[in-house]
Amino acid sequence: MVVDDHPMWRDAVERDLAAAGCEVVAVAADGAQAVARFKAARPRVVVLDLQIPEPNGVEVTREVLAHDPSARVLILSASGEQADVLAAVKAGATGYLVKSASAAELLDAVRRVAAGDTVFTPGLAGLVLGEFRRMADGPAEPENPAPELTDREVEILRLVATGLSYKQIAETLVLSHRTVQNHVQNTLRKLQMHNRVELTRWAIERGLDG
Amino acid sequence: MGAARSGPAAASGRTAAVAVQDRMVRALAVLRALVLANTLAVFALRYDGLDRPLLGLAVMAFLVVWSVVVVVVLRRARRRTLPVLVLDLAVGAGTLLLSPVVEGPDFTTSLPSFWVMAPLLVWAVCLRWPGGLLAAVVLSACDLAVRPEITQTNLGNVFLVLIGGPIVGYLCGSLQEMAAQRDAAERAAAVAEERARLARAVHDGVLQVLAMVQRRGPSLGPDGAELGRLAGEQESSLRTLINRQDALVRPEGDSTLDLSEALAARVARRPPSASLVGTGAPVLVPAEVATELVDAVGACLDNVARHVGEDAPAFVLLEDTPAAVVLTVRDTGPGIAPGRLEQAEADGRLGVTGSIRGRLADLGGTAELTTGPSGTSWELTWPRRTAHAAG
Repeated sequence: MVVDDHPMWRDAVERDLAAAGCEVVAVAADGAQAVARFKAARPRVVVLDLQIPEPNGVEVTREVLAHDPSARVLILSASGEQADVLAAVKAGATGYLVKSASAAELLDAVRRVAAGDTVFTPGLAGLVLGEFRRMADGPAEPENPAPELTDREVEILRLVATGLSYKQIAETLVLSHRTVQNHVQNTLRKLQMHNRVELTRWAIERGLDG
Repeated sequence: MGAARSGPAAASGRTAAVAVQDRMVRALAVLRALVLANTLAVFALRYDGLDRPLLGLAVMAFLVVWSVVVVVVLRRARRRTLPVLVLDLAVGAGTLLLSPVVEGPDFTTSLPSFWVMAPLLVWAVCLRWPGGLLAAVVLSACDLAVRPEITQTNLGNVFLVLIGGPIVGYLCGSLQEMAAQRDAAERAAAVAEERARLARAVHDGVLQVLAMVQRRGPSLGPDGAELGRLAGEQESSLRTLINRQDALVRPEGDSTLDLSEALAARVARRPPSASLVGTGAPVLVPAEVATELVDAVGACLDNVARHVGEDAPAFVLLEDTPAAVVLTVRDTGPGIAPGRLEQAEADGRLGVTGSIRGRLADLGGTAELTTGPSGTSWELTWPRRTAHAAG
């Protein structure tokens, strides 16, 4: 499924995916359409623009993954809205690509996300590093302690953030490609878990749980 | 008042001024009731000693009726016309002139007594300081004209009236101007905000198209690839501009700079085609530190362009921890051959390496160079000397 409010982009992405043999089961131009059509079409991967008419990409990510946790969300964003990208990743998106990426990169990203991989850009790695630091510096919360990255995870994220591919990182650190991938995936999982606990607690505090 | 309209802005500025005048006139209505009550009470106390008590009663009745009428008339801004103001002042002056007739030639307190304040201040409010001055002169002249002898107290009162009228008029004028200015400023801010909102929408559209051209260009042959490259450059510089504009809104101290913003401007410059990776929050450092760090990164990037290639991709990672700001500049070149740097140093050619290390050393930081088959990487560390630097 392709979600973008710019018809030009929606069509281009749809065409590229179809040409490569992917089946585009639905397209949507805004958040409400995206959520409704997701439920009807049950796509495996949602290629999602963050800047769409209400509800925004972050909320759409949360909604569709609550409905079908096995679906994958790949963020395709043009405007470098860093806070939004981070929020979408915390809401469960497992991939992020800037719109200037080539058609080949997009296809590769869709395939990897569909296979359960995480697709990191250097920009996303930087954001995630920053977010873990901010959480560590924030006020301590005994019920939901800030998650911490292992030294290895920090090392790998920093290499991703300076443009190295998983393959290059594996060579540099003498690790297997799979291990590097697992480390990267773990960092996102920690972020998402923490966010889920936060959201639940926020709901309970406001009496929204019953 | 009642001037020709010269556009919506002028009309709205006038609205603000009229709103101020409305408030003042409402306050004056209360004042008029108070001074009227005072005048009536003073009149009642002196009633037995009057030459013509019945005429006096008639004057008082007229004052009561006029006060009610004029308050009602003045309530609407468009009815605050010169004839109404002249009539109001004439009532004040006329009752002053009737004082010797009603009270006898050697009276001490005038017939309207403090009531004359009401027309005086209405003139000041509606016609600003010239109105206040004119009304004060007329009332003072009438007061002094009918006095059998002028005491020091009379002169004192006249003096206060002459001073007070213009001052109240001046203050009222200033208040109206300030209100109009505030109105204009609020409107300008609203217009700017709306413009920014529209610009954001337009920019977003332009960014989309530029990204699209960049993406599709290479599939259209060499010309297309060139077009795509140009679109990519424009996209990144437009994005830098937008981010910088957003940063303008953030309050910042004079002496600190957002390092990520300063770096973005340098990194956007080509060659090489570098990308800045930040952590999603402003990194505030003293301005002089920011300048030095940006220059050091610039030197690293120049080095990349020279030794790896003008189109070589490079990445600048900016990390901010309580203890230090760490900048990593990495290229994806073949790396520096083992021993070459040592050789250069032994030959006394410190060059760029020395200048980068030197800059960081001056700031109390360090610069580490690592090189390998997947590229060369500089790690520049600037320790923050803050209270929680230990953490």
